[in-house]
Amino acid sequence: MSSMPLYLQSTWACSILGQLIVLILLLLKGNFRRVPLFTAYTTLNICQAGFILLLYLIPGISSANFLTLSWASEFVTLIAQALATTEILRITLKPYPGIWGLGWRALASTSVLVVIVVELTSRGHTAGERLFELNRGYHLTFATAVIACLLLVRYYSIRVPIAYKRILGGFCLNSCVEVLIYTFIQAFFHKDFDLHQVRWEFLTTLSFVAALAIWVVAVWKPFPAEDRQIAWLSDSEYQRLSPEIDEQLRRVNEKLLRLWKLEARPN
Amino acid sequence: MNIALLLLAGFAILLLILLVAVLREPERHGKPENDLAFLEESGRSHATYLRQVQQAMAAEDFEFLAARGSRELSKRTRKERRKIVLEYLYCLRNNFLKLWRLARVISTMSPKVGVGQEFARLRLGLIFFLHYELLRIKFRFGFAPLPELGLLSEVVSRLAVRLETAMRELGERAAQAAKLASTLDGRRLDSR
Repeated sequence: MSSMPLYLQSTWACSILGQLIVLILLLLKGNFRRVPLFTAYTTLNICQAGFILLLYLIPGISSANFLTLSWASEFVTLIAQALATTEILRITLKPYPGIWGLGWRALASTSVLVVIVVELTSRGHTAGERLFELNRGYHLTFATAVIACLLLVRYYSIRVPIAYKRILGGFCLNSCVEVLIYTFIQAFFHKDFDLHQVRWEFLTTLSFVAALAIWVVAVWKPFPAEDRQIAWLSDSEYQRLSPEIDEQLRRVNEKLLRLWKLEARPN
Repeated sequence: MNIALLLLAGFAILLLILLVAVLREPERHGKPENDLAFLEESGRSHATYLRQVQQAMAAEDFEFLAARGSRELSKRTRKERRKIVLEYLYCLRNNFLKLWRLARVISTMSPKVGVGQEFARLRLGLIFFLHYELLRIKFRFGFAPLPELGLLSEVVSRLAVRLETAMRELGERAAQAAKLASTLDGRRLDSR
């Protein structure tokens, strides 16, 4: 712990403080009932901080063991992050089962695509570098999938309560910034990569503190009650109306295309 | 910095931009109910002016003006009338938008949505807007093939009628649902 620079210790302390505030607010405002997985994620993060602190305090722990254990704890929180995000998307899209059906497909297909791209671009030589790349790959996949889902929500003009937007925004911001930080460090300090782990840790903790600040604002007030009532269409009505409208749209488009294809003549 | 890292960094920046765009409050239609209100507005205004628009760009008019009046007058008239046609195109676009939005409202109200169908519609919308923009540029810069405008307008008029029918059906469905909601519990209503 004493080997940790003061600036890193300070940001770490800020991060733990922020997580505690988020957790307390979730409990005090009763929001934990609405987002149990997000509450679990926050709790796990605090536990992870405690666990790493404990590792620092163990005398004589080898660097390899320290890295393995801290990355294992990171793995758990990353899984919790994915679950917490899915929970919020699920709450948002619960009143729209058809769109949720599209949403999880978008999540799955985007994730698979990004994982393939990440795998193709990974070139880590050491185990440490591979772990960092894996972490970056996760954040890239996560941010892409969530943004794809948010685009879908926006396309269908579905209202997302501001608190949920902020939580999702915090997650995505953190993930995007993590990808950027790691990529820049890898690009500019490739030869002395291991020497820049402290810098990486400082910057990523800082971006997480920014996400925490957004979450504090998000959970400051109790979440709105779910009051959306939708006049459902039956499946057959969708099957009937939707192609009909599509056909009409296609015709307008064809006419527009014909209009475009006509020989241009200067006036 | 190699290409892969550059692409990764660029992609992350693009994601950040998209995030800001996606989380911004929509300007006009944040709620589905607003969509319905938007759809209820009359969508037939373009049809009312069809004849005038066709007449406005009739070649004979310009020939007549050029022969009897001055070239300057013909030019000015053409410019003014082109403006009218652009307005007209804008109305057609609005009609398309209304229908496109109606399709999306129907999708949000449906318990099961066809992925292929939705994707095809999205593609159609993107193609339409691409054509629309190209056509607008074409008109703006004076390359204006106008005889097809009538056809286009006809199609959109038919769309407006379809739109009204669909809206009426949706309205009836909503009224039915509201009626049922007062007598049945939500669960039974959902299971319909």
